[in-house]
Amino acid sequence: MDSLKPSIPSCSRCKLILLILLLMLLLIGAYFYIRFDTDRPVTYTDPVEHFKYGSTGGERNLGFPYWIWRVLPDVCADHLPGKGFASVGLIYEPDKDLPVGMSKRRQMGMDRVFFNCSVCHSATVRVKPDAAPMLVVGMGANQLDFMAFEKFMYQCMADRRFTPNQVIPRIQAAGADLDLLDRYVVYPVAVHLMRDGVFGLMGRLRFIHQQPAWGPGRVDTFNSAKALFNFPIERLPKEELFGAADFPTIWNQSKKQGMQLHWDGNNDKVEERNLNAAFGTGATPRLIDHAAVARIQAWDATATPPAFARYFTVDQALAAQGASVYQEYCANCHGASGTDFSGAQVGKVTPLAQIGTDPYRLYSFSPALALNLGTPYANTAYHFQHFRKTWGYANAPLDGVWLRAPYLHNGSVPTLWDLLQPADKRPPKFYRGDDLYDPRHLGFVSTVAAERGKRYFEYDTRVTGNSNAGHSGRVYGTELPEAEKWALIEYMKSF
Amino acid sequence: MKSLCNCPRWLIAAAGVFLLSALVLAYVGWDRFLREYPAQTFANADERFKYGSIGAEFDAGIPYWIFYVLPRVFPDKLPGPGGYAALGVTWEPGHELPIGFSKRKIGFERVANNCASCHAASYRSQPDENPTIVPTGPNHTLDLEAFFRLLVDCAKDPRFNADTLMPEINLAAKLDWIDRAAYRYLIIPITKKRLLEREQQFKWIYRHDFPEWGKGRDDAMNLTKYFMIRWPMDNSIGPTDMPSVWNLRKYRHDKGNRMNWAGDSHDARSVIMDSALGLLGAKPHDQRDFLNQIDWLLDYLGNKPAPKYPFAIDAARATAGKQVFDAQCAACHASERTGSVVPLAEIGTDAERIATWNEKAAKEANKVVKDMGIERLGLVEATPSGYVAQFLDGIWLRAPYLHNGSVPTLRDLLTPPEERPKLFYRGYDVYDPAKVGFVTEGKLAERDGTRFDTQARSNSATGHDFGTRLPEADKSALIEYLKTL
Repeated sequence: MDSLKPSIPSCSRCKLILLILLLMLLLIGAYFYIRFDTDRPVTYTDPVEHFKYGSTGGERNLGFPYWIWRVLPDVCADHLPGKGFASVGLIYEPDKDLPVGMSKRRQMGMDRVFFNCSVCHSATVRVKPDAAPMLVVGMGANQLDFMAFEKFMYQCMADRRFTPNQVIPRIQAAGADLDLLDRYVVYPVAVHLMRDGVFGLMGRLRFIHQQPAWGPGRVDTFNSAKALFNFPIERLPKEELFGAADFPTIWNQSKKQGMQLHWDGNNDKVEERNLNAAFGTGATPRLIDHAAVARIQAWDATATPPAFARYFTVDQALAAQGASVYQEYCANCHGASGTDFSGAQVGKVTPLAQIGTDPYRLYSFSPALALNLGTPYANTAYHFQHFRKTWGYANAPLDGVWLRAPYLHNGSVPTLWDLLQPADKRPPKFYRGDDLYDPRHLGFVSTVAAERGKRYFEYDTRVTGNSNAGHSGRVYGTELPEAEKWALIEYMKSF
Repeated sequence: MKSLCNCPRWLIAAAGVFLLSALVLAYVGWDRFLREYPAQTFANADERFKYGSIGAEFDAGIPYWIFYVLPRVFPDKLPGPGGYAALGVTWEPGHELPIGFSKRKIGFERVANNCASCHAASYRSQPDENPTIVPTGPNHTLDLEAFFRLLVDCAKDPRFNADTLMPEINLAAKLDWIDRAAYRYLIIPITKKRLLEREQQFKWIYRHDFPEWGKGRDDAMNLTKYFMIRWPMDNSIGPTDMPSVWNLRKYRHDKGNRMNWAGDSHDARSVIMDSALGLLGAKPHDQRDFLNQIDWLLDYLGNKPAPKYPFAIDAARATAGKQVFDAQCAACHASERTGSVVPLAEIGTDAERIATWNEKAAKEANKVVKDMGIERLGLVEATPSGYVAQFLDGIWLRAPYLHNGSVPTLRDLLTPPEERPKLFYRGYDVYDPAKVGFVTEGKLAERDGTRFDTQARSNSATGHDFGTRLPEADKSALIEYLKTL
């Protein structure tokens, strides 16, 4: 019988080969599993480092492949206003390869990066023209032109140069050690996925193409929120579409619990406000890292602004005079001091007709949006229950008021001195984005159009949504004698 | 020991494995698709009315996450921007679902409707104000026709598939892999199929020769005809105002009172039951539970008082108005006659609603319910002949007026029919205390409301030509008095 199948090798060898094959398959499987199933963020033990560079979990949503992010300013250089992402106001600390506000995570076999909270809540300040920019975490991102960034991403993804053939050699030139799999599979696929992802998001955020430029330091939060619900922008009432407002400061959150938060006071729960803001970092209910967000909340519950007196001198005698002016005119709505936020109207909404400031940010938060904001995190303990439509703007506490410039919700008044002038005496046009501080008027230098090759943004208060009207009149201190205004400003330097 | 069969060992082992997997699969299937969880309970009767399940999730329920993402995937199918808010649902801020939508887990979470979807009113004293919500009030802002169309139109759209819906669901939900697979391979395709099955019955709401229901109205008897007794489409159309359902004990069957606009139903219990069956879309899953729900609703709605007029009333003028009322209105609206049918010839209002229903339909519908094993007085087995003289409790919140909602305010109702507004916008909830009714013109009313044309079929504002020639002083006194009801 054996003679009938002479060509078949002996069975023991056969089994051995099979076993080896099986083992190899297992090893390859294990390799791919480890390489592509890893999901691990870069973590930081220091809370401030965590705030600056830690992950909220959002990279898993739309995270850009690290290396593509790195070479993007080269691939699409002509779509940026200047060199690199710094030209749209992202801040790079010395020796860092990622800007403040960007986190990194190993996932899908590559490093992915995306924004975290600090991208909108950190800025640089120069206390003297020749001083090095100092990073202040927790203040509004005065330099960040987020609309310009969004438009850059959109244009670059739409550019014919954004192909694997153009991108991958640049990645290698930038020093990445890509293996064959990376070069021929992972990154080519990543290029296409990234384009799809950015287009999907920018399709929903398409309202930005119809809006006046936000300029640095501002964002249209609630039209972006409408993107979450995919409201058809074209069918919205026109007056809803001009909601740009200043990035806020985020210090002392524990003292702000229960106040009406956001510029129009539409939510009085800190955690909910934070989760809503975290949507901007890509952190959806499925992907969010609640523990990481809790760490940020724990930090900003007690984080405080840097003291003005650390960098500049304060005339204590003059400040003492200003204290009584403050108590008489400001304390009821803005709190007893920069650390004591007690006051009958603090954290409450002043009706629009009374405050008289630009109405468009208020219009952007429509009743329908307030209702739809009852749906996020449904079926979980984090379910949003506190969004309400309001009819005015909230009276904010003034901790770190010197760093809150430009003033009013839409950042239409460059300095505190200007805010103490009647509305029609405030500058109709000024420049935003300079980080040089003006300790006399309290605010950033706003009269320089360009310096050292950097152009600042011309803010025109006549543009829809940009009005500098309101918060004006006797009760707002704009009719005080000049000496009292200077005293008041001196006092507010202690906030 | 003797083995059961002479099978080889491996076969027995395989059978064992197979049996075990079948058991696991059966358990998972039961757990994720059929397992009944108790409905949410409410401490407060108003909350239960607004959000409590009446059991409609079993047959008419829409899977929660599909319901959740539908307006996000298909914003083009809604009458305006704003998700479900664009339908004019009454919706309390901070709630995941609008009033009248209940949630219940039967294997997976499902959303269905209860009575409050059509019977919770909202009003505002000015545009810059959040609405005040009145449970059991007529939902004059709801575009129910648009909601019905939305569900069918979405199901018909080629985008209604797992590839489109799942990414949107994954943005909002954290589902485990079994639920994700269940949604992808079963729940989404089955939902599509079930929604498409409604299309035939809903044919008449797509007819271009019929007027839109618009906000605050539904074609109630045609809904009964095409869904409960499944008649083929005829040529009738008769949308009527969503009624208030407070204080139902005022209807006394023994005194000849009848319910529904044309007196087509005997008593409150029958009306509640038939409306609830309409929401269930099928025989109750649990008859005892259903009857308990009806008893509770009957008790709640029977005793719920009409809401008081929330604005200022001129007491002296109202007192004067009482005399006008007694002389002019009481014979129908505060007498033995109140709650019973007034012949069409006498009232003279639009006749189309009457033509949507008849004796044969009533008999068939009664049989359908009887065959479910449910006893009730039921629908009146006669062809309708007129409209019920209304009790006027809470009349201030029941605008627009007449059965078809063709007259925007009480002031307009006291105007001769030929002078009543011919075009107006309904569904805007800012109140007009001068005319007593809602604001029906202006930019915001046009944006939030739906256009009502009294020249269109079934929309005529004729009839009820009573008190329309009173002296002006009497009219304003009468209106002041009506605010007190």
